[in-house]
Amino acid sequence: MEALNAFSVSLQAVWNDSGFSAFTMGNGIMILVGLVLLYMAFVKEFEPLLLGPIAFGCILANFPNTGFFGEEMNVMKAINYGITYEIFPPLIFLGIGAMTDFSPLLARPSTLLLGAAAQIGVFVALGGAMVVGFNVHEAAAIGIIGGADGPTSIYLSTKLAPHLLGAIAVAAYSYMSLVPMIQPPIMKLMTTQAEREIVMKELRQVTKFERVVFPIVATIFISLLLPPIAALLGCLMLGNLFRESGVTDRLSDTAQNALINIVTIFLGTGTGMTMNAESFLRTDTLLIIGLGLVAFMGGTAGGLIFGKIMCKLTGGEINPLIGSAGVSAVPMAARVSQLVGMKSKPGNYLLMHAMGPNVAGVIGTAVAAGTMLAMLK
Amino acid sequence: MEHSPVTTNPLIIMMINMTVVFIVLVSLMFLIKLIHMVDPTKEPEKPAQSDEEEPLVAVKSEPLPAPEPTPVVEQGVSPEIIAAISAAISAYGFAGQVKAVRIINHEGTPWRASAKFNNLQRK
Repeated sequence: MEALNAFSVSLQAVWNDSGFSAFTMGNGIMILVGLVLLYMAFVKEFEPLLLGPIAFGCILANFPNTGFFGEEMNVMKAINYGITYEIFPPLIFLGIGAMTDFSPLLARPSTLLLGAAAQIGVFVALGGAMVVGFNVHEAAAIGIIGGADGPTSIYLSTKLAPHLLGAIAVAAYSYMSLVPMIQPPIMKLMTTQAEREIVMKELRQVTKFERVVFPIVATIFISLLLPPIAALLGCLMLGNLFRESGVTDRLSDTAQNALINIVTIFLGTGTGMTMNAESFLRTDTLLIIGLGLVAFMGGTAGGLIFGKIMCKLTGGEINPLIGSAGVSAVPMAARVSQLVGMKSKPGNYLLMHAMGPNVAGVIGTAVAAGTMLAMLK
Repeated sequence: MEHSPVTTNPLIIMMINMTVVFIVLVSLMFLIKLIHMVDPTKEPEKPAQSDEEEPLVAVKSEPLPAPEPTPVVEQGVSPEIIAAISAAISAYGFAGQVKAVRIINHEGTPWRASAKFNNLQRK
């Protein structure tokens, strides 16, 4: 009888400690959301490297009684610290810097203006978010989705609106993966056939001196002007310096392969872990996803409009299609410019030219984030 | 230290931010141009010469090129195939003369064929 009693009490204790006893409808919905995201990542291949860990983190976050964010230290809590203390986004930027070739930008510095113009989407969405009732901090974090720069979106929302991190990260990465679907109709709508057919002049050769000096000068200038983004910009340029110096191949290789892969796993999983039912299943999430789309479309349109202006000012030397690449999303946005250009005129290779505004967009989004941090934090 | 935002007017925030973004990126543009100007490794730009200023140079009669050697062709390869190969090579932009044509032994594993294909692509 005593054994039966003990057995029953133990079973009761196991049930009480299990996730089933505290499982809610919200948890179930979020696990389904996670499964849908997993499907999109692994079957549809929408940004699988990031959406995969985010989706799995979302599923993990919705198991009750795991104690992931309790008193005791555990691996999930440690990963969460990497996001809360803004460690992962700059490390991702280190890898991006090591993978980025700034030569197209250095060969034609005027494309920096396209990277600046594409930031208009950030501020259009900021205004829209304030109109629908978000406060200025939340609106700034939502607006940065328009920059199509995942690490910067996470960096800014961690600082200004940490409770919206999950929704903002999912919106940012979803739209980044949907660049080939969102941008072409806007590009075709805003440009004429003749503009799309413009063949741009070949870029000049960039010397090693320029490629090495640029990241150093840019870091000094931007970090002094906007210290809140010194970590992001500094890591981006340090990674690039590893690549261009020619004497740190091992560091460059680590930054653009092993390091960025490891940090991507942690950043994705940690971001997904913020998507618990209580913070995600709100009307705000739908608004954020809608505003993110507005921001993204606004950024694309801003880049194209400025591309058209530059086309007129240069007497038709600039193909306006490269303007849409001003919304970071490296290198996908540049590839979209190339594809739309090729469809209009086979043999018109715009990729190299579009990489200029594309990397300018990365810098532009970071600068926009830094300006908002300086104004609002 | 956190402080209250200077303004919460979205239009003013937008104007200020866009101005700052443009100023920073335009400044970077000038810095890039400055780096290019002070670059000690850049090749000096060639001054554009008009046709009138072009100095007269005595034209040397060049010796006639030696007759191109005929390609070494393995037995069983017809002249039409040689012509087609030469045309394809020329279409790819290679102006050189075909030196030899050999029949490749297709026997072997798919890995071997793949390696050969890979090798050709690298060339």
